[in-house]
Amino acid sequence: MTALVLIALLQFTTPPRTIAVDARLAAAAGLRVGDRVVVAAQPGAAGDTVVVGAILARRADPSEVTRNAYDVRMHLDQLQSLIRYGDRVDRFAVATRDSSATRVALRAINDAAFGFQAWPSREIAAQTSETFRVVSRFHRAIGVITIVASAIFLLCILLLKVEERRRDVAALRLIGLSRSTVLRSVVLEAAVVSVLGSALGVLIGWGASGLVNAYYQAFYDTPLRFSIITTGIVLFAVTLSLVLGLAAGALAALRLVRTPPLTLLGR
Amino acid sequence: MRFTLALATLGRHRGRTILAILGVAVASAMLLDMVMLSSGLRASFRDLLLSRGFQLRLSPKGTLPFDTDATIGGAAAMVSTLRALPDVVAVSPVLGGQLHIPREHGVITGFALGVEPRVQGDYELLSGHDPRRPDEMVANDDLLRAAGARPGDTLTAAAGYDAQLRALAGTRRLVITGRARFLYLSAGQPAAALPLSTLQNMRGADATDAVSLIMVRLRDDAIVEAARRRIQSALPRVEVNSTSEAMARVDQRLSYFRQLSFILGAVSLVVGFLLVTTLVTVSVNERLGEIAVMRALGVSRVHVVEQVVLESGAIVLGGAVLGLALGLVTARYLNSILSSFPGLPAAIDFFLFQPRAVWAALGLLALCGVAASVYPAWRAAVHPVAGALREEAVA
Amino acid sequence: MSALLATERVHREYRVGEERVRAVRGITLEIASGEHVALVGPSGCGKSSLLNLLGGIDHPTAGRVLFRGADVALMRDRALTRFRLLHIGFVFQRFYLMPALTAAENIALPMAEAGMPARERRARAMELLRYVGLDGRARHRPSQLSGGEQQRVAIARALANAPDVVLADEPTGELDARTGADIIALFQRLNADGTALVLVTHDEQLARAARRVVHMRDGVIVTSDDGQ
Repeated sequence: MTALVLIALLQFTTPPRTIAVDARLAAAAGLRVGDRVVVAAQPGAAGDTVVVGAILARRADPSEVTRNAYDVRMHLDQLQSLIRYGDRVDRFAVATRDSSATRVALRAINDAAFGFQAWPSREIAAQTSETFRVVSRFHRAIGVITIVASAIFLLCILLLKVEERRRDVAALRLIGLSRSTVLRSVVLEAAVVSVLGSALGVLIGWGASGLVNAYYQAFYDTPLRFSIITTGIVLFAVTLSLVLGLAAGALAALRLVRTPPLTLLGR
Repeated sequence: MRFTLALATLGRHRGRTILAILGVAVASAMLLDMVMLSSGLRASFRDLLLSRGFQLRLSPKGTLPFDTDATIGGAAAMVSTLRALPDVVAVSPVLGGQLHIPREHGVITGFALGVEPRVQGDYELLSGHDPRRPDEMVANDDLLRAAGARPGDTLTAAAGYDAQLRALAGTRRLVITGRARFLYLSAGQPAAALPLSTLQNMRGADATDAVSLIMVRLRDDAIVEAARRRIQSALPRVEVNSTSEAMARVDQRLSYFRQLSFILGAVSLVVGFLLVTTLVTVSVNERLGEIAVMRALGVSRVHVVEQVVLESGAIVLGGAVLGLALGLVTARYLNSILSSFPGLPAAIDFFLFQPRAVWAALGLLALCGVAASVYPAWRAAVHPVAGALREEAVA
Repeated sequence: MSALLATERVHREYRVGEERVRAVRGITLEIASGEHVALVGPSGCGKSSLLNLLGGIDHPTAGRVLFRGADVALMRDRALTRFRLLHIGFVFQRFYLMPALTAAENIALPMAEAGMPARERRARAMELLRYVGLDGRARHRPSQLSGGEQQRVAIARALANAPDVVLADEPTGELDARTGADIIALFQRLNADGTALVLVTHDEQLARAARRVVHMRDGVIVTSDDGQ
């Protein structure tokens, strides 16, 4: 009897344990720090009364982006008891002094392990980021296709625009300007168009990148940045478009200056 | 005559025409790929879900099938309840788990499905027969290869590890009765299917009367939504998803690809439009005199426009045909990249050729190309004849 | 002879930059069926502008252009285009053949526009090529023809739909004397066969071949000699 009373007293006087919930769950369920909730392993089953001790902000973690699951952090022993897991865990992490200590620990753990295996964190990271590597490969492939397409368009359009100047080129040659002078002049025009086009392209890309981030951050409710423009990327894009533009302009101009002026005039 | 003139004019500037066709081909290839991407994944996933005719899937509350290790308890009673419903044709309970097969060189671990073979919808038998007795199983080629086994062999398999005893737990000797292809598993994943009760016994107490998923086939597609609602209200402990809901959830997770496909598709159309407009504008500007002569000879404005539009139409047609071939090749390549997503069922294709959608997209490109040429063609057709002839004479 | 083509106090002004150029100033002229008229005058006197007005490829700023009594300037574009197609044949100084088409195809172009079936077109194109002495050149493109040959193809093209009048603007301007003489002879033959001709020319020989020579200066007719 006394024992029962003591147990009852203990339950009343022992404060409920705390949990942490993620911000999405808190928003969806209208939870605030200090709220009492019941957590159970099955719907409708009796569970434990706990207090919301913290609300976790969404991290800029790519692996969380498309997951719609709600996260709850509990004390390990409480969760083990709740889901009747016994003295088991799904994984544990080990911090070591340095890399040689890591190797020693790995060997020791794997030698003794039964039914589980130890991995360096770096390898786990590599395995779990496979999804993003696939996406990266896909993006790279799309990027290559886009570059090839852009090169063809650029070549086509610059060839057309330079050919439009055939009469001007013919007239310049007829009045005595040398091939190289005419060539330089046409290539310079192509260069100006390429530079201006590249500058405009960078601006458009920068704007589009901002739009992409704003949209997807709102869509997936994440602080993760989806698009980042680095100096390297800008340099690569500008260099490529300049090279392509100049090459296209030079190619078209060479064709024109090599054609006899009267032929250009249609005679 | 107009067709002859159009082709002859294009042939006169072969290099320019070829480049333009290439440009349109690349635009149409990109457009084709994006159309295939936007509709392909959805259609492919839907086909997969409905491949065995099961329209509803019941999973633990708040989860999607096999999203977590959670199970549905009291499965037997639930299955009986479902089978008693008049609209239900078949109910297939499925339990998932791991199967460990000790071999000389180590332990092979594969994915195990506990099923009722006569109603199962998870695998296709390639050879042999379904498990008819509790100690039988079918396996896929990946498992057979990893275990060095063949149909007819008997393997020792376990459902788990007992870390305290340092021994495999839930061990059984199982006879391989057939080879199967598992519909919902990713490529290269070793897997086996055995009777549900066998796997439940092997897994022990935590899987007693438990399943991971229950698939339901209804007698009529038209009653799916009504049946879903009825079952959900009768069984609040589970999540009841129809195919369309499952697809909606997958859509949400993979919405990025649909959006990407829309954006890139739109960009392809715009670029194709710009290319054709530029080409036609330059082409007619060069031929203003020629066009003025045609008008002087008595060719009407409409026919001049038709002539020019015919030329751009020929380029767009040539580009579209080439683009179709190019697009199919690049789609295969891109599909092979995306199909390596970890955990994705091998049967899922991101890029699916759906004739109606593809022809619609190419038709749209053709329309765009033609529309791109109408304005410059019209401008050329209404250019004052005498003025153009005078400019030609001066030039 | 009744008037086939006529102008009544017709004016044509252009804007060239800031300047207003009065190319044709109040000209009244009649061309009868089957007549052969040459328009001569110094450069910039308005001869080509008058020819363009007669052919309906330009609109007068004031005055009227009449074809068998009907005011051409009042026609809408479709009717005007049809008028040119069926009643007027144009020959230009620079030939203006379609470079992508063969000689026969160039000649057939106006016939196709007039809706003539393909077989008839081919036959008539060959007939016209024979008429101008080029039946062996049917499949040659303009770049494969000499200047004189190109001009003959252009003349054949002008005759495609059996027009009432052929308007030629400096038809021998790009040709050497000998070739020019051949063209003159061809024009004379045309006229003898009943087609009215109005030629703008600097070429004295071409002018002499005409039955009436109209002299222009500064947009007006100075004299009109009918050689009689």
